[in-house]
Amino acid sequence: MSTVATAPLLSGRQIGKRFGGEVALADVDFELLPGEVHGLVGSNGAGKSTLMKILAGALPDHEGTLAIDGREVRLSSPQAALAHGIAMVYQELSGIGCLTVAENLFLGRQPVARAGRVDWRAMRSKAKAYLAELGLEIDVNRQLDRCPLVVRQMVEIARGLHSGARILILDEPTSALSPPEARRLFELVRQLKERGVAVVFITHFIEDILEICDRVTILKDGRRLETRPAAELDKRYIVHRMLGHEMAVEEVGYEASVTLPPPSRETPRLVARELSSAGAFQEIDLEVSPGECLGLYGFVGAGHQELAEALAGARSLDAGGIEVDGSPLPADRPRTAIHRGVLFVAGDRGRALHLGAEIYKNVTLAHLAKAVGPLLTRKAEERLVRPLLEQVGCRPPQPRLATGNLSGGNQQKVVVARWLLGPIRVLVLEEPTRGMDVGAKEDIMRLVAKLKSEGAAIILASIEPELLLAHSDRILVMRRGRVTHAFSDTELDKATLVRYA
Amino acid sequence: MSQAGEKRSWWPWSGGEIAPLASLLVLIVFFAVATGGDFLKMATVMQILRQGSAWAIVAVGLTFVLLCGEIDLSVGMMALWGASFCGWLFTRLTEDTVIAAGATPADGEAGLLIVAVCLLLPLLSCLVLGLITGGLTIWAALPSFIISLAMMNVADGLSSYVTQSAALDVPEILEVVGNRGVAITETRGLPYSAILAAVFFLCGHVVLRHTRFGRYVYMTGGNREAARLAGVRTGLVIIVCLAISAFAAGVAGLIEAGRLEKVTQDQNADLLLSAVACVVLGGTSLFGGIGGMGRTAIGVLTFCVLHVGLNQIQWIPDLLRPFVMGAVLMAALVVNGVFGRQR
Repeated sequence: MSTVATAPLLSGRQIGKRFGGEVALADVDFELLPGEVHGLVGSNGAGKSTLMKILAGALPDHEGTLAIDGREVRLSSPQAALAHGIAMVYQELSGIGCLTVAENLFLGRQPVARAGRVDWRAMRSKAKAYLAELGLEIDVNRQLDRCPLVVRQMVEIARGLHSGARILILDEPTSALSPPEARRLFELVRQLKERGVAVVFITHFIEDILEICDRVTILKDGRRLETRPAAELDKRYIVHRMLGHEMAVEEVGYEASVTLPPPSRETPRLVARELSSAGAFQEIDLEVSPGECLGLYGFVGAGHQELAEALAGARSLDAGGIEVDGSPLPADRPRTAIHRGVLFVAGDRGRALHLGAEIYKNVTLAHLAKAVGPLLTRKAEERLVRPLLEQVGCRPPQPRLATGNLSGGNQQKVVVARWLLGPIRVLVLEEPTRGMDVGAKEDIMRLVAKLKSEGAAIILASIEPELLLAHSDRILVMRRGRVTHAFSDTELDKATLVRYA
Repeated sequence: MSQAGEKRSWWPWSGGEIAPLASLLVLIVFFAVATGGDFLKMATVMQILRQGSAWAIVAVGLTFVLLCGEIDLSVGMMALWGASFCGWLFTRLTEDTVIAAGATPADGEAGLLIVAVCLLLPLLSCLVLGLITGGLTIWAALPSFIISLAMMNVADGLSSYVTQSAALDVPEILEVVGNRGVAITETRGLPYSAILAAVFFLCGHVVLRHTRFGRYVYMTGGNREAARLAGVRTGLVIIVCLAISAFAAGVAGLIEAGRLEKVTQDQNADLLLSAVACVVLGGTSLFGGIGGMGRTAIGVLTFCVLHVGLNQIQWIPDLLRPFVMGAVLMAALVVNGVFGRQR
């Protein structure tokens, strides 16, 4: 029994990968034991996603060797990886939203009755059974995109498992989940572990790693620093190793509390009255003053993310109105909003940037007329953009690089650089640091803090209590589209905040 | 990463940009060998320039539309409508002058005003129809594929009605533009239509690369939501692109009618597919955001070379030519597409 337990299910030797001349991963040894939950941590660009893609068969031309059950294998495609029992659940959920849960579960391998007809009845009952195994009791005829995120994620996992996976790779599985949903996912991971399934768990949430993982591998700059049992590690140490330095700003932990300042006495810069948008939020009243950061907290689907978009004039409203500097701001007119300095940073960077275009084109897009003039030339734009990229700390600060080649944190810096070209009266941020490592998060929030100190009004919508506690002056908590509580001028800790959501 | 950045600066082309040019050169060499050198004669060049002008002008307009991720299926029939309307106006107006003056004016003596009306009104009508296609696409939030398909039928129907399916004369100036040119040597000249096409290319290039509108076109095609959130009025961009395309189609229709010295209902039937092939051969994406006028120019030349070259190869049976054309076109598209993916 002990020999079985110690023989690795999967082992990689000296795995490496280059993109062009750039080393993304070098000489990484990686071992996965049966029934193990293995955490993979590192900053953006440390090589996590490269390693994960190699394991999932998405990068067949890597260096080094992979072996499963001691036999060398070549993972030439995601299909080949799946055939060897490796299933991957991506951060961006890959199910098909307009199909039902059952159809998604059996995508590409529907049970077939006579004459090639899809056997719907068998499909449904099997789907029900599969999900019940994972402790999930839901209507399998429901359309997938009507299900909560955690259900979608679990359907993905169930799909992987039932195509025979013994190794499950979870990429940032908790980043879009509320705390109770994350609990549920952890329970599932523990069950899988008992069944001997090995799980690779990739996340930026170090608490999650410490809670669920047996062993942790820390990557930095494409190399493996160490692999150690999670029990021997703590958050401080991991962050220290990941970044190579101590954190500058103390992170707000689970237990610590912060003191929110008394409300600002200045005339509000943005006032919203009775905002409603069907299916998103109802009867919202709020105001933000210059130099103040208003936090909007809620679980996924609480409506605060849609509210943020509406406050920035980028979404249509069913009722209510927004005033900025005393005059009304039309709904769903991003152009007008930008001219008046009301800016929106979307949580999904795919909504903010044209990733195929050069960086400078993304930076100048919103203020072309004012910043560049009537005749655009690459030289003039580069000259304009390069100092901005240096100012926001974008690495590398090369305006002609394709935006999609940057890491998530650097892409967000490009979005911020864009707004630096014009007036900033109100800055609305929706999950500005999602999917970023601690270092990049700090960089972004430092930029936001600077804008705030220069007199911008900040609205910060997030599902991460830590982010809000660390940066907000007041916090509104939302549940099902309504504000349930407003915190101001008080002591507040994470547990209290989460309780109201 | 700095290495990658420096590398780009001295080698600015990727596979996607090289492949169309390479296949153009391969085709030219092939036809030069296959025709025993005939293909490289000046006559061929002239033929390519004259025949290719209409395709080129439509392709310029279509490049705008494809770059912002839309399609305009009405260009062929729009060209026909422009020419038909012009022919109808010209016939009517010259008839009236004949009656009023009580004399028989010789061909080409139509007044300057009449000619101007006969050229400008059709172009204006094409522009308006293009604005309608664009406006409906945005207002109804439907794919431009559907709306422009309907517009194709509208333009076709209008043309049949005004011409009553008869062949109509067009102003002589169009025949001059379509068939003659600036004399360079005693026997040869640079066709006016080719000069006009070159002007279209140049304007298109400047607009796309150096104006705000051009940048908005690329960003709208590359990521419409991102463009919207950055304050770009994406709907307006799309409407203007479709209007540009309809206008360019109108110009091409007039020139084509001039080259053939009459407007008939069988003109421009395959203009749409030829123009789309030209744009895509050059490597402009059908899904928006990637491409440009330089690429379209190469695409047009490739298509013309193919068209004219195949006609010069004697041993291909006439009835087999369309098949060969299709097969070679398919091969060229596949080659360009496959290499285009390697970045």
